[in-house]
Amino acid sequence: MAYKGKRINPQKFERGHLKIILILLPLVIFMAMPIIFIANHAFKPMDELFAFPPTFFVRSPSMENFTKLIKFSRTSGVPLSRYVFNSIIVTALTVGFSLIFTTFAAFALAKLKFKGRNLMMSINQGALMFVATAVLIPRYLVICNFGLIDTFWAHIFPLVAYPVALFLVKQFVEQVPDALIEAAYIDGATDFTVYRKIIVPMIKPAIATASILIFQQVWTNVETSNYYINDDSMKTLTFYMNSLVNANNTVSGQGMAAAASLIMFVPNLVLFVILQNNVMNTMAHSGIK
Amino acid sequence: MSKKKLSKEEKKNLKKLKAGRLAKRDAVAGILFITPWIIGALLFLAYPLITSFRYALHNIRMTGVGMRFRYVGYSNFTEILFSQTEFTTEMISYLVSTVISVPIIVVFALIIAIMLNQNVKGKGFFRLIFFLPVIIVSGPILGMLNQEGAGSLTSIDTQAITATLEETLPGALADPISDLFENMVTILWYSGVQILIFISSLQKIDRSMYEAAKIDGGSGWECFWKITLPNIKPMILLNIVYTIVFISNNEQNSIIGLIQESMFSGTQEKGYGYASAMAWMYSVVVVLMVALFAALFMSKKDVYEKQVKKAKKAHKKEQKQLKQIERRSAKNAKKNAKAARG
Repeated sequence: MAYKGKRINPQKFERGHLKIILILLPLVIFMAMPIIFIANHAFKPMDELFAFPPTFFVRSPSMENFTKLIKFSRTSGVPLSRYVFNSIIVTALTVGFSLIFTTFAAFALAKLKFKGRNLMMSINQGALMFVATAVLIPRYLVICNFGLIDTFWAHIFPLVAYPVALFLVKQFVEQVPDALIEAAYIDGATDFTVYRKIIVPMIKPAIATASILIFQQVWTNVETSNYYINDDSMKTLTFYMNSLVNANNTVSGQGMAAAASLIMFVPNLVLFVILQNNVMNTMAHSGIK
Repeated sequence: MSKKKLSKEEKKNLKKLKAGRLAKRDAVAGILFITPWIIGALLFLAYPLITSFRYALHNIRMTGVGMRFRYVGYSNFTEILFSQTEFTTEMISYLVSTVISVPIIVVFALIIAIMLNQNVKGKGFFRLIFFLPVIIVSGPILGMLNQEGAGSLTSIDTQAITATLEETLPGALADPISDLFENMVTILWYSGVQILIFISSLQKIDRSMYEAAKIDGGSGWECFWKITLPNIKPMILLNIVYTIVFISNNEQNSIIGLIQESMFSGTQEKGYGYASAMAWMYSVVVVLMVALFAALFMSKKDVYEKQVKKAKKAHKKEQKQLKQIERRSAKNAKKNAKAARG
């Protein structure tokens, strides 16, 4: 098996497990379906893409869609590598900043007592439920007033405060036992030491999960490129892929769309495979008996 | 140690250890820790939210020189609610489908999490597969999948279910439910994060509790209801909130599409103000729904605490009565004594 967590699989097979595996297997098929579909779809030649009824598996795989995509991207003014570079910089910075701010805020909200804590939490929860599209124009005004149009910061700032991540991480920080933190204080730890040496190691799974969520949020985002960036060379790969597909919203565009979506999906998968060990490992050890 | 023996310096130190000093230190640290987030949230969450509410009261037209505001009061809201039918119909179907699908997702996630928490061979592989959909459903890929019909169960004949539903239920209710059956797979895909949260909380439950229950003769079923469920209760609420927020703010959501559509429509009465009003109403509904679920699941005192409180109350009452009786008997004794004397 390719992905073993840190030895979470039992060594022996027992007959009693059979019924659980029998229930899980059909569900696994459903769960794996989208990935199989995307991978298959990208390699379908033109006649299979439009076959009716639509087929799930590819019959005669070809690289036709990818070569078309590459050929088309050569015709545009900005090289593809520039978009890739933009996307990587933006995503890395956003995820990094976001994780730091989120864990800081989660630690403060969950474990430190200060005035206005509840108010801040309710603001966050309110923002959580608000439709992101509705704040497009006010956000544009903020970015405009700070003179951030056409900079990387226009990509980064709107997405740094991600309420869902804060909500998730805060719930996990709350589960860290108070006794552990108090013991650290008694031993003379500062707040920052507690954050660095206790909170962060103990909520690693939550951080891994949050980083996957934030990564997706940033990686698949086209709004910032659409509304806050005028300069073509500052836009992201996702935007480029989307515009490719939309510009050729014809029959031939469909094949390129399928290939593009596979390309966009691969980084997600890679990140997930890297982080999954942490994600799966969850919080088995609380450090307290 | 007597007080006189303390030197001046020690007294000074004692003064330093005033009550509330720790709280103050906590407060300073807390504000320091949260400052970066606050700045971000104020600029990009709070300020835009307030501004968009202001916009909701205006009719906004984009012109070449900028935005033109015209104050219209609440007419955007009344227009959406009473004159246009699309919002209310979409809203009702959204409400019904969410109220139905949220419990399905959460219960499904719980069942899967419990199974994955067992010591089964291939556990790591199963966990991986069940979390994988998470990295897809938030992207535009899901829309493509839905277009291809991959989100429905073709193997199960949904036609028969739909037909019976439409016969027995009123139309407003039957449509969302039959939609639900058609999108069963999509619903299952939504449950990746929830499964993860449940697994992590399941692993935190103390094994010795189960052992103690087994020794006392508790069955697996009883263990689930009496140990597992109360222990993961806070996580159930977290999952419910997460699910509602996810469903509501998904790009696949038809109301989001409606808001976007009216935002960029060039007609006189619609436009940005109209869209803002719609978004605000939608958010209020979502908040109400979360509050409803939260009220169902968030009883702050658990059963044990409640019983303790009840017992304390009963005890107090008893003592009061006892005192009363004592007083009365004392009075009576006095009276009797008086009578005996007289």
